[in-house]
Amino acid sequence: MAISVEHLRRQYGSFTAVDDMSFEVGGGEIVGLIGPNGAGKTTTLRSLAGILRPTAGHVRIDGYDIVEHAIEAKRRLAFMPDEPHLFEYLTVLEHLRLTARLYAVHDIDHRAKVLLDELELSGKEHALPGELSRGMRQKVVIACGLVREATALLFDEPLTGLDPIGIRKMRETIVARGRAGAAILLSSHLLHLVEEICTRIIIMDGGRIVADGTFAELAAHLEIAAAGSSLEQIFMRVTGRETSAR
Amino acid sequence: MITASLYIVICTARNRLRLRLRRLREPRYLFGAIAAGAYFYFTVFARIRGGRMARARRQNATPLMAGATAAALQGSGPGLAAIAMFVLAGLAWVFPAGSGLLDFTPAETDLLMPAPITRRQLLLHRMIRSQIGLFFASVMPAILVPSASALSRVRLAMAIWLVLVTAKIYFTGVTLTRTRLASALGGDRWAAWTPVAVLLGAIGIVASSMWRTFDGNTLDGPADLLKHLGRVATTGTAGIVLFPFVALVRPIFAPWPGPFLAALLPAAAVLASIIVWVLRSDEGFEEATAASAARRAAAGSRSVTAAPVARRVAWTLAPRGRAEGIFLWKNAIQMLRETTGGMLARYLVPLVLVSVSAGTALMAGNRARGTAMTLCSLAVGLAAFAVMLGPQVLRIDLRDDLRHLELMKTWPLDPSAVIRGEMLWSGIVLTGVAWLAIVCAMILSAAGFPRLSLVWRLSGSMAAMVIAPALVFAQLTVHNAAAVLFPAWVPLGHSRPRGLDAMGQRLILFGAVVLTLVFMMTPGVLAGAVLWIAFQRFMGAAVVIPAAIACLGIVAIEVIAASEALGPAFEMMDIAAVERAE
Repeated sequence: MAISVEHLRRQYGSFTAVDDMSFEVGGGEIVGLIGPNGAGKTTTLRSLAGILRPTAGHVRIDGYDIVEHAIEAKRRLAFMPDEPHLFEYLTVLEHLRLTARLYAVHDIDHRAKVLLDELELSGKEHALPGELSRGMRQKVVIACGLVREATALLFDEPLTGLDPIGIRKMRETIVARGRAGAAILLSSHLLHLVEEICTRIIIMDGGRIVADGTFAELAAHLEIAAAGSSLEQIFMRVTGRETSAR
Repeated sequence: MITASLYIVICTARNRLRLRLRRLREPRYLFGAIAAGAYFYFTVFARIRGGRMARARRQNATPLMAGATAAALQGSGPGLAAIAMFVLAGLAWVFPAGSGLLDFTPAETDLLMPAPITRRQLLLHRMIRSQIGLFFASVMPAILVPSASALSRVRLAMAIWLVLVTAKIYFTGVTLTRTRLASALGGDRWAAWTPVAVLLGAIGIVASSMWRTFDGNTLDGPADLLKHLGRVATTGTAGIVLFPFVALVRPIFAPWPGPFLAALLPAAAVLASIIVWVLRSDEGFEEATAASAARRAAAGSRSVTAAPVARRVAWTLAPRGRAEGIFLWKNAIQMLRETTGGMLARYLVPLVLVSVSAGTALMAGNRARGTAMTLCSLAVGLAAFAVMLGPQVLRIDLRDDLRHLELMKTWPLDPSAVIRGEMLWSGIVLTGVAWLAIVCAMILSAAGFPRLSLVWRLSGSMAAMVIAPALVFAQLTVHNAAAVLFPAWVPLGHSRPRGLDAMGQRLILFGAVVLTLVFMMTPGVLAGAVLWIAFQRFMGAAVVIPAAIACLGIVAIEVIAASEALGPAFEMMDIAAVERAE
């Protein structure tokens, strides 16, 4: 499995943000990670990316443990956070070159050109992050993640700050990467996006997985497979918000 | 609106105090608060008490200043201070000073500006919000200035507060009025130009009075000059023109209680008139606040540096190589793009001052004179600064990159290489500066160190060049180790955590750095000393060179070993431990 999570727990002091979380994401799968605010989605993704050290449990990327074999695991991983944190003094192209050096990417000039065209960043190669809009900075972060052939892609709210064209392109890019065999874990509050592009959905609440399956499986399990049922209905019912939403 | 402003000020102050008190539960803040408290007690309060007891023992108070010049300065104080204020008031139109009153916080911009309140109310709100800062700015000098009683300190604090608050509001008025000078509306333009015309007239009157006073008169020293200046400011037409300035500063010099209370009324009237003028100049409010917001946006989140410029640099990152090279390149690019004229001036001025002080102190024993000696002193001071204080000042390493820890932790790199790489650029720059300064000092050493022989001067310089990188990298290792092991104690990037406890943390950290540096250097120094004892008889002065090489070798091993040891700690480092400033 490209991404394997076993009994993951992450605590901040006495507060448990993620508890006993286990799931797997195979190559070619696009898994949507959804949940209300504070459910533990970002903590999960950061633990998977090696930013946060798990308090307990294991995270493996292509079989490499993120703690014990951090370098090998990280080499196969691309994490695209919700906030575009870039180096203030490096240009767009320099960010891509830096990423290429870090991940030993060959032919970076060609790849960078293709990617910058794809993400509509052409003409901004020599701009510093401070000269870009938030959406463009987000695209640079995504470009840094996509410039290499990662087997596991982690997206945390990838569409934040993007314009409609950017959202569409991003959606296509994610699907294309999934079809190309990458394991994708995507966290988003945009349920229609998750419903549209994800092959499987994990719903989190209170730091735990409360539902895991395809849209059809979840709907069938919750007996709301009637016409017009949507992921939103499933989400509301699973997280117990249905009554309050009414 | 005033009640709403007071509500914001009081709630903010109360919650900030609660936050700081609550964080004292954490040992690092508690120890910090104790350290800072002790520092304040021993450096300020104990000294005040000591000074008071000493005066009591002498039974007759020593005057604050002595001599004819000091007496003249005290006698002409209000006049001289008024002239200084007058000059500042004039210069503010040419070089506008940012008073900060128009720097609305993002929360104020988003919540108050769209609210149904007038521009004048917004200005009043900012004036009220600035009071806590002004209060501390007034109280601190009153505590530090030697004084006989607590009451006189209160008196001084009140007088300083009056001057500071008036100056702050005046500078805001200048900013607001300047935005209207080129207004398309005739009435607006005339209203804006009126104070400029009044000021120009005042400058003319004061200048002609000074001309009349000093033209043809010979001065008997500085005391006479001060006396004449004081007289110009308080008599004749210039006295009338400068009256508001004299009235404003008079409480600082007036004794308690009668004269002080009598001086307070005119000073308060000046403050009130400035407030009225600023509130009536609110037409330029939107433009001025927008300009202020744009300036802050340009400066970005890093308040001490200007917005970076994407300068082309002839250094492209090689596609392959050691991990350390990535950080060397990144930090070099950062420094090249970060460095602006203003920033250079900001660092060069203290650098020159410290270099001159250090060099002069070092050379004072030689009693040498002349340009060569001065330049040699400067070079020695610069080298000392680069080696001893440089690693503290130049923070383009892990201390700065803690801000990017989240991103860096996703990189597939050996953490030990990350730590070494982060130190590399700063170390190279500081070593380069030190070497350049040492070479200059060596060339000029005949003038700077006339008592030393040529062999000693050459050997000493060579040894200093060898030992410089050892000292620089040892310090950088300590600073970066602190960033890895105690990230919460290290100021993040250019930000500085505020509060007494945070100040105490910095004191403790500084002490720990010095101790660790001594610990790191000791084996090298001992090895050098052994070589010195063994071979000094045969090699003479030149033995300092192999002694320095031995020391450098040992420190280099220590630095590499430390970076390897810190690798796992970097890997374990918790992003939650990195604290953003308040």
